[in-house]
Amino acid sequence: MKKLHIAASITVLIAIALLVMSSKDISSYATFEIAEKSQQRVKIVGHLDHTAEMKYDPENAPNYFSFHMLDANDRSQKVILSEPKPRDFEMSESIVVSGKMQEEGFIADEILLKCPSKYKDEELALKDNS
Amino acid sequence: MPKIEYIGEHLWVGHLGHFAILLSFVAAMFAAFSFYKAREGKDRIWLSMGRIGYGLHALGIFIIVVTLLYAMFHKMYEYSYVQRQVSDELPIYYLFSALWQGQEGSFLLWMLWHVVLGFILIRTAKMWEPRVMAILSSVQVFLMTMLLGIYIPFTENQKIGSNPFALIRDVMDAPIFNNADYLSLITGQGLNPLLQNYWMVIHPPVLFLGFASLTIPFCFAIAGLWSKKHKEWLQPAFKWASFSGFIFGLGILMGAAWAYEALTFGGYWAWDPVENSSLVPWLVMIAAIHVHLIAKSTGRAIGTAYIYYALAFILVLYSTFLTRSGILGDTSVHAFTEMGLENQLILFIASFSFLTVFLLIKNGKSIPKVEKEEAVYSREFWMFIGAMVLLFSGILLTVSTSLPVFNKIMLLFDSNYVGQVITDQMGHHNKYQLWIGVFIGMLSSASLLLRYKEFNWASYRIKFFKNIGLIIALSGIATFIILPYLNTEGWHHGVLLFSGLIAIVTNLFHLFLFGKGNKAQLASFLSHFGFGILILGVLISGLNKRHISTNPFGQKGITSDSRLDKVVTLIKERKFFLNEYWVTYESDTLEGNLRKFNIKFAQYDENNKIVDSFTVRPSAIYDNDFRSIAAWNPSTQRYLHKDIFTQISGYPAHLRDIEVAHQMEDTLKYLPYNLKFNEPLEHEDFTVTLKDINYKPDISENDSTHYDLGLGLKLEFQSKGGSVKKVYNVEPALGLKNALVYQFPKSIDDLNIKIKVSEKLFSDVFEDESHLKYTTLTLNEGESQKWNGLNITLDGFDRNPQHNNYQREEGDIALGGMLRITKEESSKQNVVSIVTPLFIIRNSQQFGIKDYSVELGLHVRFSNIDPKSGDMTFSLAKGNNDLSEYPITIAEGVPRSDILVLEAQVFPGINLVWAGCLMMLFGFFVSMTRKRNTTS
Repeated sequence: MKKLHIAASITVLIAIALLVMSSKDISSYATFEIAEKSQQRVKIVGHLDHTAEMKYDPENAPNYFSFHMLDANDRSQKVILSEPKPRDFEMSESIVVSGKMQEEGFIADEILLKCPSKYKDEELALKDNS
Repeated sequence: MPKIEYIGEHLWVGHLGHFAILLSFVAAMFAAFSFYKAREGKDRIWLSMGRIGYGLHALGIFIIVVTLLYAMFHKMYEYSYVQRQVSDELPIYYLFSALWQGQEGSFLLWMLWHVVLGFILIRTAKMWEPRVMAILSSVQVFLMTMLLGIYIPFTENQKIGSNPFALIRDVMDAPIFNNADYLSLITGQGLNPLLQNYWMVIHPPVLFLGFASLTIPFCFAIAGLWSKKHKEWLQPAFKWASFSGFIFGLGILMGAAWAYEALTFGGYWAWDPVENSSLVPWLVMIAAIHVHLIAKSTGRAIGTAYIYYALAFILVLYSTFLTRSGILGDTSVHAFTEMGLENQLILFIASFSFLTVFLLIKNGKSIPKVEKEEAVYSREFWMFIGAMVLLFSGILLTVSTSLPVFNKIMLLFDSNYVGQVITDQMGHHNKYQLWIGVFIGMLSSASLLLRYKEFNWASYRIKFFKNIGLIIALSGIATFIILPYLNTEGWHHGVLLFSGLIAIVTNLFHLFLFGKGNKAQLASFLSHFGFGILILGVLISGLNKRHISTNPFGQKGITSDSRLDKVVTLIKERKFFLNEYWVTYESDTLEGNLRKFNIKFAQYDENNKIVDSFTVRPSAIYDNDFRSIAAWNPSTQRYLHKDIFTQISGYPAHLRDIEVAHQMEDTLKYLPYNLKFNEPLEHEDFTVTLKDINYKPDISENDSTHYDLGLGLKLEFQSKGGSVKKVYNVEPALGLKNALVYQFPKSIDDLNIKIKVSEKLFSDVFEDESHLKYTTLTLNEGESQKWNGLNITLDGFDRNPQHNNYQREEGDIALGGMLRITKEESSKQNVVSIVTPLFIIRNSQQFGIKDYSVELGLHVRFSNIDPKSGDMTFSLAKGNNDLSEYPITIAEGVPRSDILVLEAQVFPGINLVWAGCLMMLFGFFVSMTRKRNTTS
């Protein structure tokens, strides 16, 4: 066997090892129930619960934002974000939060909003006739 | 349904465009076929046919672009693509951006670059022209299908491609299209304000030139494999490969710069799937260039070069598939559209993969092999490993990015399958790509010090180990010096730092010790030295970036998960101390559709001297109709060694959106108060005093309309809470225009109140003249008369009178009669009021302007001057209402309007990132311009 082949094989092995290791980084979307049980950092997809209270007071606590989110099982859960309220939050179609369940609620450290794309908007932009 | 004759459509534009699409498509097929027939170079006639075909194809593309631009320029909203990309308000310089913003347009841009590169190939490729052009033309055929927009017969709504000239009424089904004049009712959606940025003008063309440039070395590689001229293609293809490495890299870098500078991703790279999917082909391209160099210099690894180039091209197609199929869904911040082109793209990928594999099997045996094994101390040995590491980096990224694709495939087999996602995208990629960086740094250095084919190893050996030892020692020392300054405890960061420093030191060594000053060496130096600098920059800016927008006094312990606070709330005109800096939100100004916020940063030393002071200007972009804020621009203060990046991450909702403002206004409860002149009115939180009444309030501030009448109340508020009593002077006002009364309320943010003048006051003060009963008095200068319990004295005249309602014109004769009015019973004869009504002669016409005594509610006119006797006649009337009281309304609990939430971050060493990248790219550029050479 050529030395190059040996070196190449080693590189491939390392790459496979890295790939196997990286499989730890993935998980399926969890629910609040799973988050509660596992006490692990999980990713949850859901949408805003418009009926519940949303709290953001930029004058006193710009880094505290809380809202209620409905997960895949339609469970409404208070989510606390130590970040300012994301823009166009109310308009979001779905919300993905990452974080851990704690006593006062689900503490999210990352949030991703999917906002309705303007392309999907099947409505015509009508002229403002006023 | 009866056929409707639509009004105002320009159907010929669509017909022309569609004709050009068909022409272009057919011509590309014809060109591909002709070039194929001309492949042996004997049939000049087929070669000419191919060129003509390609020319027609180019003409078609050109017509499509021009027609589409024409339709966009004239806002022909009957075309769906035009309606989606432009709007009436879109500035003209975004016309091109609008062209390539959409899917169809970006395919068009891609093809346009292929056309340009194809013409260069026809002029320069010589013997390679027929085969290379045959492949390029067939790539164009596939790309053209994306624009065809033809329905497949016998299927339901299955179409091939998406025609940019499709009519909106054919694309959409809406009742509005029953109206023959629907065009007068619709308007364009326009360019997303977030994309209205100069980067949107330059980034896509460069990136797509990058995509297009990558096709050319692929065409050469396939042509080489096809013609079995395995060595001959290496020389002409190398320039193209270097060009691609340069321009594609530049396109990606521009994207990073855009993300950093204008978008609010908070960094230059986020390992977003869209970023990854253009980075991967570039990485593979770089790997291919290295294998190419090995092949050129040693005759080895030609087969590998074929595979790498094919992979790079196929990965570009795959990247197109990922970003245009909507499959990435929840994993990216970018928005995607589904156009139903997935199957076409898969067919595209499969066809060219099949072509490559087929040719490799057919002609693979004829690839020349070097029997002797690569020596361990040869440059090619380590370069080859390095190329492999780059490829693996690409594979790792692709696998992670393709997780949604994997999920989708699994769903086909198992409908209960639960999709998998990467929990921490950034962390995941950083963790693995770090080691790629380490390997590349080390391998590039090792191979740089070695020579091809182990040239003269016996005598070079000792020198080699001496140099390696020295480099390791120097880099090690530098690592130990720099590491403590990095904000990390991870040893792996130390390893990466070491590796980056090795790359830097080795390249400096190499340049000074062995530099022969040729372009090949310069290219290699720039690229690898740049890589080292990039690693250094990534480490410093990534690890040592920190937020300065944290208020050390507040906001601790809100959550048990005590993450560092990232933002602070600033109040206008007030100083806040953040980490290291005093920060003041000084003002905001409106420029066009941008509201710019001036935020001043100042840093002081112990002696209270300013060390550093600057103003950042982040801004808000309003919608085209100013109804709401559509996007935000960050602002960055740049230094050589660091950047201070600021953005507004919060702004009161009622200032962001006029709808919210209306909603808020509707829920405010205004309570009535009656004020008396100079008599403080006590309230729980404040006292308010009416100081004066202003007949010409400044109410045209943001609004050039002229008001017929204005009325402002000068109010003085004094806060009650707290030890310091603060005084606020405000002047809410009313304006009258065309018999409509307009409110100009005022807010006092500190007291959370909003004050309005009651509209009733307007009719009270400016009482209808017909209701007034005037009494005339005749007075001479200095004379007093009694009237209604008042002493009225004509004190004198003002020959240059000023009056709120009087604007002097040329030739006016104006006289103000200064009347002093005192109350009769008052023993001390205190002046109660002074009024100055005017008597004016303009163009031999006489008229008067009345004055009003606020205190007495007295209307006074200067009605006549008798030219003979010199008697002055004044008319006085008491208003019916007793205006001792002035009604206002105050709403409490009003949210502040003078706050914003600021995020400020320091990125130290960010310029190392840019400098490193630019050096790397410049290396490719130098490599491209070098002449044909024979590297030893």
